[in-house]
Amino acid sequence: MTASKLSVLRMVILVIKHGVLLGLMLFLFGVFYVSIEDLNVLYETFAKNYYLNNGFEDTYARNLVTAIYLDYRLFDSIFEAGILLIAVSGIMWISKHDIEKHNVHFMLDKFKTPDLFVMFARIVYPLMLVFGFYVVVNGHISPGGGFQGGAIIATAILILYYIDPNKETDSTFIVSIEKGVFLLIIAFAMVSIFTKGTMFTNPFTSTNADVQSIYLIVMNVLIGVKVALGLWTIFTAFLREGR
Amino acid sequence: MIEITAYALQILLIIIAIAIVVHKNNGTIIILITSFSLVTASLYVINNAPDVAIAEVAIGSAIIPLIYVISISRQREFIVLDRAMDDFLRKTFDQEGDGYRLLRDFSEYYKLELNISNDPELCSYDPDKDQVICEKTNVDLIIQKDEKTGEYLLKGKDSSVLMHKLEELASKYDGIKVVRFKDGDFGD
Repeated sequence: MTASKLSVLRMVILVIKHGVLLGLMLFLFGVFYVSIEDLNVLYETFAKNYYLNNGFEDTYARNLVTAIYLDYRLFDSIFEAGILLIAVSGIMWISKHDIEKHNVHFMLDKFKTPDLFVMFARIVYPLMLVFGFYVVVNGHISPGGGFQGGAIIATAILILYYIDPNKETDSTFIVSIEKGVFLLIIAFAMVSIFTKGTMFTNPFTSTNADVQSIYLIVMNVLIGVKVALGLWTIFTAFLREGR
Repeated sequence: MIEITAYALQILLIIIAIAIVVHKNNGTIIILITSFSLVTASLYVINNAPDVAIAEVAIGSAIIPLIYVISISRQREFIVLDRAMDDFLRKTFDQEGDGYRLLRDFSEYYKLELNISNDPELCSYDPDKDQVICEKTNVDLIIQKDEKTGEYLLKGKDSSVLMHKLEELASKYDGIKVVRFKDGDFGD
């Protein structure tokens, strides 16, 4: 085979390689376009109108997202909380677990924390905690809820490590609390079998909205505590005792 | 007006995504990921999903960057365990050993912080299995002296991408040999 033939062959292989890639991209784009066209046809307003009309009467939550994840689809939410627990357990298992207490000292050697950051962290820390609790407790009225508020509280706790580098955390203790809170969530979700006969719904039978919202607040607080502890554990799993 | 803002934010999102892929500096990438999730959160607000936006801001711009910063800061260090215990790795005022010069060049090339330790507590040698067991920390390199040939052996993990460069540097020196271990053998 001559050199020119070889180079032609190489060119053909190159064109095929790039052509396959281009074809794949065009195919994906086509699928995407068709699915968007289909969405316009399939778009039904039935579910949306149902939740808008009956959401408050059924669940007494003004935030319809809370209405869905704490009443209509509570069964799904429990497994969603379980996914976080499994993720935390996996991270704990993979990371080094021979060291029980973690602190942030090793980080401060290399990234010298600026004093300005520490000063601002001291000011912001209580505000973040309060805002997190507000988002958790007010989750059934305003945007927010257990997961969002828990994430904000976890962020506040992470800032605490910069304020006090000597702070030590026993991560196994946190995980055991988290497991207990998860069991509490399941137990509280199952109370309604005694009052209403069905599981995973609001246990209170009163028609007063304030009484009904007790369930939503307690559930949001439990989920918030669980998420905050879980994210805190993930953070501490990445820390290591300074040498 | 809101539609124009949404289009502008989406174009910004694509630009940030390309920048994340193209950029080389780790610190800049973390900031870009943070700004990506901030732009995403504002898009969620425009599309009437404030619940999702709060979660995106809390997770994407606070917890994920922190975890990345911690993971990268742990990769900055190159821990060397000295078992030869002679002038090979010693640095004094007027002279420095061959091994020290090699490792200094190596760590300067990758911008790592060189940490030479001869703490016998750090790792222990198991003669039955011919393994080195490091329980307390991740040791990247172990330096030993071969008694018969007088060669210095640099023992590192086979999976580490840095070992190729180390072999390239060590080929300039006589009497230095790089040995690769499988990960399990290293006791990690």
